[in-house]
Amino acid sequence: METIYYIILIPMAYLAFAVFIVGIIVRLVTLFREPRNPTTLQIYPERRPRWLWALYDTFFLPTVRRHNPVFWVFLMFFHVCFLLLIIGHLELIGEFSVFQIIPHEVFLGRGFVGLILSICLLFFLFRRFLSPYRDLSVPEDYYLLILLFLTVLFGSQMDWARTWYDYGNLSVVEYREYLSSLFSLRPELSPDLTSSGHSFMLVLHVFFANLFLMFFPFSQLMHSFLSLPMNKLRRG
Amino acid sequence: MDKEIRDNLLKLFQGKLNEAMRFYLETCTRCGICTEACHVYASMGHIKYIAAYRHEIVRRIYKKYFKGRGRLWPSVGEAKELSEMALEELYEAAYSCTGCRRCMVYCPFGIDTQMLMSIAKLLLIGAHTEPEILTMLADTSVEKGKSLDLFREGFLTGIKNLEQEVVKKWKIEAKHTAIPVDVEGADLLYVALAGAHSIVPAAAVFNAAGENWTLSFFEAVNFGAFVGDPTKTKLILDRIINEARRLKVKEVCICECGTAFRVMKQLSGKQPFKVSSITEVHARYLRESRIKVDKSKVLGPITYHDPCQIARNGGVIDEPRFILRHLTDDYREMSPEPKYNWCCGGGGGLVALGEETLDFRMKSASVKVDQVKNTKAKVLATACENCHTQLSDLNTHYKMDVDVRFLSSMVADALVH
Repeated sequence: METIYYIILIPMAYLAFAVFIVGIIVRLVTLFREPRNPTTLQIYPERRPRWLWALYDTFFLPTVRRHNPVFWVFLMFFHVCFLLLIIGHLELIGEFSVFQIIPHEVFLGRGFVGLILSICLLFFLFRRFLSPYRDLSVPEDYYLLILLFLTVLFGSQMDWARTWYDYGNLSVVEYREYLSSLFSLRPELSPDLTSSGHSFMLVLHVFFANLFLMFFPFSQLMHSFLSLPMNKLRRG
Repeated sequence: MDKEIRDNLLKLFQGKLNEAMRFYLETCTRCGICTEACHVYASMGHIKYIAAYRHEIVRRIYKKYFKGRGRLWPSVGEAKELSEMALEELYEAAYSCTGCRRCMVYCPFGIDTQMLMSIAKLLLIGAHTEPEILTMLADTSVEKGKSLDLFREGFLTGIKNLEQEVVKKWKIEAKHTAIPVDVEGADLLYVALAGAHSIVPAAAVFNAAGENWTLSFFEAVNFGAFVGDPTKTKLILDRIINEARRLKVKEVCICECGTAFRVMKQLSGKQPFKVSSITEVHARYLRESRIKVDKSKVLGPITYHDPCQIARNGGVIDEPRFILRHLTDDYREMSPEPKYNWCCGGGGGLVALGEETLDFRMKSASVKVDQVKNTKAKVLATACENCHTQLSDLNTHYKMDVDVRFLSSMVADALVH
C-alpha cells in the first residue's frame, strides 16, 4: 500500500505535470503555426473595439446567457470556482501577497468552493443524460466530468474529514509541505501524509487529478486556451 | 473503400486544415447551446440537424486520422473510419446545411459550421458523390469563361433586346446606351445574373443616377462555392476580377446574389476596386439624392428578409432598411433582430438543386414562414436570387399570401424624376 501511495503522490504526479505542461505547449505551438484562414470569419453587425468584445464573449458567455440562462448560472459558478481553486492551490505552494488583497485563510473557501464545483459538475453530468445533449455527447465528455467530479469531491473532503473525526494531524500544513516539496523538486512524504485515517482522500484526489491533467492537452478542455482566439475570429 | 481512395480523400481533408479549421475541430464541448440555432432542427426536430451533431460527423473522421488519440484510444471521442457510410453521413450533413451561420451566433466559441461543412463538401467531390447538377453548373460556368468569344455575340444581341425594357422604366438621352457593355474607364462594373430581372431594373437605376457604369460579361453566381470546390470557386471569381482590372473600374457592384457578394467581397483579396452589393449602391444613390423614389408605388406593409450571406455574413444590414424607409411608411422588422434572422432554407446550393430538394426545403423552413407571417406584411422584400426563389416556393407551398419582391426592382419601379 505504501508503495502505491508513493507512486501516486510522487512519480505519477511529476509525470502528469510534465505531460500537462509539455502537451499544452506542443499543441498550442502546432495549432498557432498553421496558416491563417485567407478570408474573414466575422459575424455582423460588428462592434468595436473588437478585442474587447472578444474578451467579453470569452469570459462572460453572453450567448449562453441569452439562450440558456440556467445553464449559464451553473457555467459561471463552475468557471469562477475553478479559478478560485487554482488560486487556492497556488497558495499551498507559497505565499502570494497578491491573493491576500481580500484576506482569507488557506485553504481558500475551506471546501465550500469545491462543494459548489461538485454540484455544478453533477448538473453538467446529468444534463448530458438527457436528449438532445445525450445524442451530442461522446465518451470523452462523460469521462472528463466524472474525473473532475471525483477529483473535486475528494479534494474538498480532505480538510473537512479531519474536523469530522477530530484528527489533529494531516491538515493544511501537511498538504502545504507536500506540494511545496514537489515544486522545489525535493519530494518528501511525511508519515502523517500516508498513514492518517483520511490519507486515502489525499491519495485519491491526487490520483484523479493526475489522470485529469494528463488527459487535458488532448481533449476538448483545450477550449480554455482556444476560446479567446476563436471569439476574436468571430468578432473580426 | 479501398486504401488509395481513402488516402486521396484524407489528403483533401489535410488541405483544408488551417489555424481556424483546427480551432473549430479541436474545441467543441458539445454543450448543445446551438440546438435551437438551426432552422432545419427548429422546423423538423431531428437530432441530426443540430449544428454540433453536424460538426461531429466531420470531427469523428478528424479524430481518427489527424489526432494521436485516433490510434491510441479512438473510442474516447467516437473516432470514425472514413468509409462509404461515413460519406453518406457527410452528404446528409453538408447538403442539409445552408451555410447560413446562424449557429455561429449561438456558439460560445463561435464555431463556424459552414467551414466544417466545406470539408464534407470537398470530400464528397473527391469521392465523386457530390450533387452532379452543382458540378455541372460550375463546369459550364468555367467553360463559358474560357471561350468568351464564342458566346460574346449572342450575349450582346441578348443585351440589345433588353434595352427597350430599360428605357421603358427610365428614359435616357439618345446618345447614351441603356446597357453599356465593355466600357473601359467606367466607374462601376455591374455583375448580374443571367436573366432580365437581374439586369433591367438595375440598369434603369444606374441610368437614373447618372452612373458611369458597364455590365459584366460574366454571371455573378459562383456555383464553385455552392459545391464547395475551391479551385472552381477561384476560377469563376478570377475572371470577374480580371475584367474589372482590364476595364480599370473603381467599384465592382454585385447583383442580388448572396453567395456572389460574399465570395467577391471576402475572397477577392486586395484589389484596386472596392466591392459593393447593389443594395449598398442604391442606398448611396438615395443618400446623395442621385435618385428619387415615390413612396406610393408599393402598397401595403413591407418586411425584409436578410439574406444570410449579405447581412449576417456580409455586413449589409442598415442599407436595405434605409432604402425601405424611402419606399414605405409601414416597414415591419422581423423579430427579434437581423443577426437572428432565420435562413430562408434555400442556401448552400439547395435552391440550385431545384425539384430534387423541394420537399426538404419546404419542410425545413417552416420557422421562416412563421417569422414572415408574424409581421403581417403584404410585401416580402429580399436582395438575393436564392432567397427570392425559396421564399416564392414557400409562399406557394404555405399560402403565405405575400408578394415576394426583389428590393432592386422595387427601387426601379418607384423611380421618379
